[in-house]
Amino acid sequence: MAVTAGATQGRQWRLWALVPIVLIVGTVLLVAAAGGSLVSLVGSNAPQPDEFDVRRVVFEPGEIRVRVTNPQQDDITIASVAVDDAIVPFTLDGPAELSRLRSSTIVIPYTWVEGEPLAVGVTSSTGIETVEEIPAAVETPGASGRSILGYALIGFLVGVVPVAIGLLWLPSLRRAPPQWSAAFMALTAGLLSFLAVDALSEAASLQAALPSALGGAGLVLLGVALSYLGLTFVSLRLGGDAKGGGARLSGFALATVIAVGIGLHNLGEGLAIGSSFALGELALGAFLVIGFLVHNVTEGLGIAAPLAEDRNVSLTRLATLAVVAGAPAILGAWIGGFLTNDLLGVLFFAIAAGAALQVVMEVGRYVARRAPGGLTSGHVLGGFITGIAVMYVTGLLI
Amino acid sequence: MSKFSRLTRRQLVVSTAPAIAAFPLAKAGMAIAGGEETQHAHAADRVALSHAAMIGGEVPAPGAPGDLDALLLPSPAQPHARGRVREYTLVGIDKDIEIAKGVWFPAWTYNGTVPGPVIRATEDDLLRVNFVNGGSHPHTIHFHGIHPADMDGVFEIVHPGETFTYEFPARPAGMHLYHCHSTPLKKHIHKGLYGAFIIDPAVPRKPAQELVMVLNGYDTDGDGGNNFYTVNGLTFYYAKYPIRVRRSQTVRIYLANLTEFDLVNSFHLHGDLFRYYPTGTGDQFEYTDTVMLCQGQRGVIEIDFANTGNFMFHAHQSEFTELGWMGFFEVVD
Repeated sequence: MAVTAGATQGRQWRLWALVPIVLIVGTVLLVAAAGGSLVSLVGSNAPQPDEFDVRRVVFEPGEIRVRVTNPQQDDITIASVAVDDAIVPFTLDGPAELSRLRSSTIVIPYTWVEGEPLAVGVTSSTGIETVEEIPAAVETPGASGRSILGYALIGFLVGVVPVAIGLLWLPSLRRAPPQWSAAFMALTAGLLSFLAVDALSEAASLQAALPSALGGAGLVLLGVALSYLGLTFVSLRLGGDAKGGGARLSGFALATVIAVGIGLHNLGEGLAIGSSFALGELALGAFLVIGFLVHNVTEGLGIAAPLAEDRNVSLTRLATLAVVAGAPAILGAWIGGFLTNDLLGVLFFAIAAGAALQVVMEVGRYVARRAPGGLTSGHVLGGFITGIAVMYVTGLLI
Repeated sequence: MSKFSRLTRRQLVVSTAPAIAAFPLAKAGMAIAGGEETQHAHAADRVALSHAAMIGGEVPAPGAPGDLDALLLPSPAQPHARGRVREYTLVGIDKDIEIAKGVWFPAWTYNGTVPGPVIRATEDDLLRVNFVNGGSHPHTIHFHGIHPADMDGVFEIVHPGETFTYEFPARPAGMHLYHCHSTPLKKHIHKGLYGAFIIDPAVPRKPAQELVMVLNGYDTDGDGGNNFYTVNGLTFYYAKYPIRVRRSQTVRIYLANLTEFDLVNSFHLHGDLFRYYPTGTGDQFEYTDTVMLCQGQRGVIEIDFANTGNFMFHAHQSEFTELGWMGFFEVVD
């Protein structure tokens, strides 16, 4: 009997859960039906700013293409377009009247001057002009075989190469005394902490530029939570111990988790490089690539550190780790270079931040377990600080 | 009298003298403008020219052919008759106007247009202007010229729903202007409360093809700077619908600058020079192709075209030109 009652209750809880849902749907319908009369009780709505959100400006020979989105509640109509304060004829690839979050591309026949600044103004039917200033007009790379290869090479250079080189610290790490191994593990945690903060600040600044309707701050939290909890789940699976407050990962398993965390960060990094270059905000020179090379070499060291105790790591496995950690930079560069979507950027950086934070936790547990003297030994503290400092100093190169 | 008007390039009928400019200015009770307009062939059959040329049907201009006739073509000058009453009625109206293609400006108007109607009288006429404030703010009409202090549109504020009659002898002869003088002044003027005010001399000017051009700007986003510039209120209107004139007769333009915010506007003619009479009050003229006008400055231009064809006219401030203040004369034999 008791079992039956329990089973019935088990089904009933689902039914009861529907009560508030039905009520909220009913209330929403009522408020929607009441419409503006609710607002008129307290005053009247201020007019909307009628500003467009300029998503992308693409320069092609004899043509400028401007992607605009309506970020506000009310519809906006594209009425007039000016380049450098001169009204220009244009055509629209999309509707002129944009409802909330809808986009159109404005196509302007225009002989722009290479390397000179330029301002595109889009005026709504209410006369409000949204001006997008481009610091220097440069032809936007299209998705040709050449540019696909180019972005791949850049991603490879700033992602895979430094990680692979960094992994070659492994023979040295294997011969190091235990307290020094612990110091290097702590260094890994330090540099990952740096990456987490770095990614979080990138996500925060990108979301600030998004139209408020897209709810950027919540998106950052979503990305962080998603990757943090996702990686926690993966770690528990790899460690096989759900009890005792965390997984007990083997050296290789931990290295894999670190590689995934770093890989997610490099995805964001590739995206940032690709989109900044595509938007003409970044000069992609040898200096920048060198900067990323030096900066990311420490990421290889971070992956190598937990492998020091694992004697049976084949070269193939090492190569796999390098690819897992580095190759996402290639993917990121492609996405950034050809798509340029701020929303994706926010999400990617938030995911990277969450992943890095989670990996810091895993490394912390590992160090606490293995290090002579635990988490508070001089080597560990020194290593952690050094990790952050190294990332900061090499970051200055970029 | 005026044997010219704007016709499309392909239209073969040239000198049928359509009944234009029959606007009943001299008659009492000039109600809200926008009544009769001459119907011309439509823009559809216009020769489509390249974007770069910015002339003809492709030009992004608001309005239809003939829309600005009432503002462009003044009623004929009346012979001198001391003490004759010239009565006008101006109604203040708040109205959204499409000032550039697809762009609407919440204007304050006299009789529903920006600029307001052309007021014309002959020297020594008794001018009687009935002002009905149908707008939502207090307004006045301040005329330039000679008149008593209590007819100056400064002290006698006309509140919404109220009326006031301005009455004074029209003098001196010249090209003048009128505008609202309520405070804040800048707001009341740039919202559209202004127009041309012509006083003809007792000894008539020689016959000419007469045009009125009021230069203005619109600050559509309220940042204290103009977003659009026009002649007679609509951007690029005369680029889309060139003004057709005949080479055989002098073209006389009554020109006034009512641009707010920008200190200076100008008028520049291509392919010819003209006589410019500052304020139209005397015989002194400059023979030039470019005149500069400060806010409220005006004058009379006389052009004797040497050639036929399309001749551009525009502000020589390139920015103003490309923001709407540009048009064409189509000079025919």
